[in-house]
Amino acid sequence: MTIEQTIEKLNKSKVPIIVIDKKLERFKGQNLFPEKLKRANEILAKTGLPKITDFR
Amino acid sequence: MKYPKYNYRSESSLQFFEFISEGPKGLIKKMVIYTETTTENVYNLGFGDYNESTNGINDLSVTNNGDSQKVLATVASTIYAFIEKHPNAWILATGSTSVRTRLYRMGITNNLTEIEEDFIILGYSKREEWEKFVVGEDYEAFLLTKKENKN
Repeated sequence: MTIEQTIEKLNKSKVPIIVIDKKLERFKGQNLFPEKLKRANEILAKTGLPKITDFR
Repeated sequence: MKYPKYNYRSESSLQFFEFISEGPKGLIKKMVIYTETTTENVYNLGFGDYNESTNGINDLSVTNNGDSQKVLATVASTIYAFIEKHPNAWILATGSTSVRTRLYRMGITNNLTEIEEDFIILGYSKREEWEKFVVGEDYEAFLLTKKENKN
């Protein structure tokens, strides 16, 4: 693949180049959105996970 | 998404993402986080401004940094990255305010054709049930998974 092709591919990519930063691991185990998570769990408890086949 | 997006940083599990919004208000650190819910394989998407002093995230702030499309495109892009790493995952997103929920809905509406190439996207209706996302409908939450997901 030429440089031009590589650049074109990167520009069209839906994901930019990701830099891995180990410092972000400090957030693991923390609940940073408690209200949102609570509401998400309430909705899921009420409805369950829908069957994907119902929406294909 | 067809809009420009910011480059971002993440860690090895691709659940925590960080990027910098650039605009008239300066440089503002944003975070996108995918948190496990109590339902297996379902993750809650949260995003907001990172506050260094509290080590917390403000998901209620309205930054007005003139780059909301770019920020939304970046958040959407993290979905692709996250799903690449967690292919069977479902992502649930609720807005922290009705304004933020409308912003999500607009973002989905403006990119629906592209989103539906790869994902199934559902809205949580006022009838408290999941339905296929319909443009113009009001939803409290959104649920998304890869089309190939066997569920």
